[in-house]
Amino acid sequence: MPSRCGCRKWPSVALAVGFCLHGWWGGVGAAEPVDFNREVRPLLSNNCLVCHGFDEGSRSTDLRLDTREGAIADLGGYSAVVPGKPEESALLDRIRGVDGVELMPPAESHKKPLAPEAIATITQWIAEGAQWGEHWSFESPVAIAIPAEAGDTHPIDYFVSERLKIEGLSMSRRAAKHTLLRRLSFDLTGLAPAASEISKLGETEDQIDWSKWVDTLLASPHYGERMAMWWLDGARYSDTDGFQGDSTRQNWPWRDWVVAAFNDNMPFDQFTIEQFAGDLLPDATDEQRLATCFHRNHMHNGEGGRDPAESRVDYVLDRTNTVGTLWLGLTLGCAQCHDHKFDPISQSDYYSLTAFFNSIDETGAAGGGAKPFLAYKSTMAQPAIDETQQVLDQMTASLDQVKMDAEDSFAAQLGRLIETAQPPYQPWTVIQPSAMRTTEGTVLTKHFDGIITANDSQAVQDDYFLEVPSNAIDRITGIRLEVFSDPSHNVEKYSYAETGEFILTNVKLQVRGRDDSSVTDLSLSRASASVEGKGADSKYGRASGTLDDDPRTGWTTRTKPVEAVQVVVFELSEPLVLSGDGVVEIALLQRSLAPRELMAKFRVSVTNQRGNAVRSLNPMPLQELSDAIVKKNESEVGAAFTVQDIPAGLRSKLKGQFLTDHEPWQIAAEKQQKAARQLNAAKKAAGSLNVTVLKERSSKRKTHVLVRGVWNDHGDEVEPGVLPVVMKQPEKKIQDRLQLGRWIVSADNPLTSRVIVNHVWQLFFGAGLVRTPGDFGAQGEVPTHPRLLDWLAVDFMEHGWDLKHLVRRIVTSETYQQDSSVTKALLERDPENQLLARGARFRLPSWMIRDSSLATSGLLNRTVGGPPIFAYQPVGVWQDQFMGRFTYESTLGPGQYRRTLYTFWRRSSAPTFLFDSAMRRTCEVVPRRTNTPLHALTLLNDVTALEAARTLAGKVLGQHSKAKVDLRLKGMFQAVLSRLPNEDELAILTREHHAAHTYYRQNLSAAKALVSVGQLPEVESVYVVDLAADMLTASLIMNLDESITHE
Amino acid sequence: MNDIAERNSDQLSVTRRYFLGQGAGVGIGAMALDGMLARRAGASDLGTSDRVPHFAPKAKRVIFLTQSGGPSQLELYDHKPGLAQLAGEKLPDSVRGGQRLSGMTEGKPQLVMPAHSTFQQRGQSGATVSDWLPHIAEIADELCFVKSMVTDQINHAPAMTKFLTGHHLTGRPSMGSWFSYGLGSENRDLPDYLVLLSKMKRGSDQPLYDHYWGSGFLPSEYQGVKLRSAKDPVLYLNDPEGLPRELRRGMLNGLNEINAIRQLQTGDPEITTRIQQYEMAYRMQASVPDLTDISDEPESTFEMYGPDSRRGGSYAANCILARRLAERGVRFIQLFHPDWDHHSRLRSWCTARCRDTDQASAALIKDLKQRGMLEDTLVIWGGEFGRSPAGQGKWDSPEGGRDHHPRCFTIWMAGGGVKSGVTYGATDDYSYNAVVDPVHVRDLHATVLHLMGIEHERFSYRSQGLDFRLTGVEPARVVHDILA
Repeated sequence: MPSRCGCRKWPSVALAVGFCLHGWWGGVGAAEPVDFNREVRPLLSNNCLVCHGFDEGSRSTDLRLDTREGAIADLGGYSAVVPGKPEESALLDRIRGVDGVELMPPAESHKKPLAPEAIATITQWIAEGAQWGEHWSFESPVAIAIPAEAGDTHPIDYFVSERLKIEGLSMSRRAAKHTLLRRLSFDLTGLAPAASEISKLGETEDQIDWSKWVDTLLASPHYGERMAMWWLDGARYSDTDGFQGDSTRQNWPWRDWVVAAFNDNMPFDQFTIEQFAGDLLPDATDEQRLATCFHRNHMHNGEGGRDPAESRVDYVLDRTNTVGTLWLGLTLGCAQCHDHKFDPISQSDYYSLTAFFNSIDETGAAGGGAKPFLAYKSTMAQPAIDETQQVLDQMTASLDQVKMDAEDSFAAQLGRLIETAQPPYQPWTVIQPSAMRTTEGTVLTKHFDGIITANDSQAVQDDYFLEVPSNAIDRITGIRLEVFSDPSHNVEKYSYAETGEFILTNVKLQVRGRDDSSVTDLSLSRASASVEGKGADSKYGRASGTLDDDPRTGWTTRTKPVEAVQVVVFELSEPLVLSGDGVVEIALLQRSLAPRELMAKFRVSVTNQRGNAVRSLNPMPLQELSDAIVKKNESEVGAAFTVQDIPAGLRSKLKGQFLTDHEPWQIAAEKQQKAARQLNAAKKAAGSLNVTVLKERSSKRKTHVLVRGVWNDHGDEVEPGVLPVVMKQPEKKIQDRLQLGRWIVSADNPLTSRVIVNHVWQLFFGAGLVRTPGDFGAQGEVPTHPRLLDWLAVDFMEHGWDLKHLVRRIVTSETYQQDSSVTKALLERDPENQLLARGARFRLPSWMIRDSSLATSGLLNRTVGGPPIFAYQPVGVWQDQFMGRFTYESTLGPGQYRRTLYTFWRRSSAPTFLFDSAMRRTCEVVPRRTNTPLHALTLLNDVTALEAARTLAGKVLGQHSKAKVDLRLKGMFQAVLSRLPNEDELAILTREHHAAHTYYRQNLSAAKALVSVGQLPEVESVYVVDLAADMLTASLIMNLDESITHE
Repeated sequence: MNDIAERNSDQLSVTRRYFLGQGAGVGIGAMALDGMLARRAGASDLGTSDRVPHFAPKAKRVIFLTQSGGPSQLELYDHKPGLAQLAGEKLPDSVRGGQRLSGMTEGKPQLVMPAHSTFQQRGQSGATVSDWLPHIAEIADELCFVKSMVTDQINHAPAMTKFLTGHHLTGRPSMGSWFSYGLGSENRDLPDYLVLLSKMKRGSDQPLYDHYWGSGFLPSEYQGVKLRSAKDPVLYLNDPEGLPRELRRGMLNGLNEINAIRQLQTGDPEITTRIQQYEMAYRMQASVPDLTDISDEPESTFEMYGPDSRRGGSYAANCILARRLAERGVRFIQLFHPDWDHHSRLRSWCTARCRDTDQASAALIKDLKQRGMLEDTLVIWGGEFGRSPAGQGKWDSPEGGRDHHPRCFTIWMAGGGVKSGVTYGATDDYSYNAVVDPVHVRDLHATVLHLMGIEHERFSYRSQGLDFRLTGVEPARVVHDILA
């Protein structure tokens, strides 16, 4: 232990500034001088610097307390601080509240007066000469030599235990074998270990070579995936632009670049430089250009009316702020509108830094306009194609099978079809409405042939509602509307409007409950019209415009020749069976901008035929059959029309018609089409992609300070420059991004190495040595173990920025390997585990919970890289948010079980199963870790979780006999937790399993329903009851706190 | 212990359960669980703020009828008859004062477009309300109109973010999250802050971002929970088919007991919270469907809220849900109705939005009043900014619309301690600048906090070393003149 060490305990200071624990630079003995950085600077920063800080704009007087010069400056016969002479220092009068002077901080700041202990600290500091120091993080890290007597103590353990000794504490024992196995596996690969791993470790403590296990994990391709998840949150990576347009991007090859870089253990300095300026490297490869996508991962604003020039400025600032947060640990964004209030970063410094990113060859446009692009072909897409091709083949085969299986029932129906089609066959049933009403008072009159006429009501817009008699037809699959011209109408067209035209803006089929007040809109999926014209407003014309709620679109025949009748046919998404339970109404909304263009004579019919029958105006197959019967009757009077008389072409049409109504075929066909779409997408992904990257434009843009941060309010012009506060400007001026990247990872840069080491520490401990990973400035927290942080930062650089080395350093320490349980006393003493007297216990990130349950159950698809997949998510989330513009289609086949890293990330609607995660809108480095009921619901009911539970249950059930319940319970428990349940736990599991088994034995259909989840294959019925009970128990085990926690 | 801690401890009293088995092991889990359920919560995480509420509140809850897209104050509330004479004339530079325009109208002539609607003076108070809003006009005497609202953002997302979180950049908590954090709920079966979006089917391409009701830097248990207008109002709420409620109960009992054992072994208090949250999840499985199934409402309810109220997910149906949530003691209820962004065809579009919202908004006020709930429920109606008196597109055709306008807009409030039948603030002759008693968005926030018993300057949260307030760093004032 170094002799110069001395430690002061300042519990009262800690209270005064709201800290629980201060950073500790070392030192024991009450007579030590006050440490400015640790004890005084936070007091000044929290209480004084808002008005007496670096920001000239908000400085209320000449007094500055952010520099020693300012503090001791002569303010006209007196000074705030007179070194060595507390009695002459005006500052003390102000903070003590002496009579006659204003108490500081003033009441209007809503800050409390300083505590007596804080005042004592400041007094002592002045008495001791008011020594100033650089803020800790702006001074280069120094690795102190570890004394020889420490022996081969792990350096981390040396620093941590030295601190604990002073606190009178000691480290906890090493965590149990299974706990450590899991901890390492989560931390290094993001996956739970396989149950078999534990037996490979060795029986007794001294047989276990943990470093070998660490090496195995570091060599796993899953290591890179795990680290990439960290980096992607910081990089605000997403598969879409964000904002209103939220267009899809093709930047996923960059994500794969990141995974590969971590797996190849690319030195972090190179990793940084390539992402900053891969394009500027000599003989840059495509991969190096690809790396620069990092700085194009920000959101792109395609909002209508948005000025791209303004967006472009936003992007430049976003890049700058991201560099600040992720590499430098500085809240640079604060200097956007004014000089930084707490850190010595002027607004001009800030804009000088933005200059490096200001001449990218970009316009600020979004989507396809977001140049510069790199045309890039990924080699990682092939597995997706192969997988999907297999799925498609399977689906096509099962569709063919369904068709064959259906042949008998179809043939059996043919006779009945001939009966139905006996002339006079009416494929469409004309509606004689049982009631009619309108919104604006137009009077409707019904005639014997179903034709309805409207009077010339002068209404500008109107809606017609026609009630369908409940006995009209057995079910409705389509609606036909005929619109008639008539000599009595204006200019003999379709309406009484001046133009004689009509515009139908929306058509709806609604069911109103008779007993309750519900109204259900049935969705119409298609509209096919005899002819489509063009309205005076060109958005009117197409019949498909009647399917939305938008009165700006709709059907008109204007500009087309006037016919006696115009026809449009609507297909229902799903047939509506008329049960008489509700009132069925057809609504014809005519809310166009063109006044009075309301249908004056029309007729509505419905049909019960599905498929092509309601997708075009062509005769339905049944109509054709009826025509064939008529034809035969005419040519061979008296001869009966038999099945053999059906022409082959018509028979196949009838079969098609039959299949559209045949449920097994519908299901199989939908899956087959989905697989085909998926294959198509995978093939596209294997082609040339446009990845957004950095590229300089030919002429540089001038960079200005933006007054108050307003994008087009130009202040002084600035030259590219790096932050003087971080390190001295190098002799050769830094001119471009490449030099900037090198400056970021320069050995002289005091921040980057510390910041990155802190990130990695945070991954494994749940919190960093600096608890504010994005703020190493004056308002950030000071390190809990400053010497350790410095030692690791120096070690990291000295080992060539070797991340695997850093990881190995951390996880081979005893500090890391401690048991994470906590006594009441220690919890009270150190609730946030800042002293590291125990291991870290925190809930796993939601993505890791998903990946681990896939791994544990055996469902996990371990393919690395490739285009994004669509993991299960509840229906309708995208449709709701984007009004149907985007539809989420979950991936079929093994692609479904890829790691969360590969799931499609829509910026405006993050995957719903990630109940707390970074937003990926701006750079985020603080983990979100919450505990809400929504998590519980997700982990209980998400399809992935249920599939994993069923698969785990099935796997274990396959290994043990049906009679051996306790073996199965133990097997599942061990698969998830790498340990056996204790007696208490087993008793509880047995109890709940028994209850479930009893229930499912009596309710076989419930058991079947429970195990039929997602896309899993059907189960033989002898296993159903056991599987259901086991599955529910598996779900219980997977929801245990221990299962979802880094212990 | 302050109120927040007390609230947390209330939530700990979970229904006692009975045991199926009596084995020794089972007993340990059950006993541990019982002990944990009796445990009191730890200290609060309030930053530097004191105990809240700071004083007796006038309002116990808020219903925020958010009209997204920027409703036109000129067509709806801010009557400027003088504009008729100026139709088609250039907006004087002296009025505009170099105001920034959105990309849509920049560089185009700014020609005056008089209101498309007509106005009347309403009720005893004589407030001017457009004929496009006949139902709101009818209850004008219940309302407090603020015609001098001001913001400083001109595009939707930043302006809405400002309107709701006090800052145009994302990352700050929404107003509802602040209340959830400070005041909690009166109903332990539902979250404190619930959000309802109008189901529009199509016709809007304005997404409503999750961060509008996000908790920002506050712990995410305070974020708004969006009830979806779909089969599952809360995602993952429904248990899978084939899993009856009693089995779920048993499964959760087993889960909680084993977790309780783990808590004893590890000493981690987070496990206790987890047990609570699984219990809340179980309660929500019952309370949420009960809330959202409105078939028990009498026919008169639907008549009052209008025909659209029968369509699940519509604004009108959501107004009924808002009242049901208020009845259940939920602290902050926020509706969003999109598509008030009328750059063109303002007449046709704006009247459509009025039809969507007018009757139901008015019905909600009447309904709350009838039930004696209006006095302690604050209702707010408004959007993120207003619209410009200059026409966009052809000002003199039905095609004409209006661009975004941050310098003035109108909102109204009712109940919860605000004066009724008053109009506060005024704009210039063009409805361009708020000239009498301007109310900045942050002043509105200060006022709403005040009505809920909170002094805005003393209500903060420490994040990344800074004490953040809803009202931000610039001075904000409580608009005392409109307080009852």
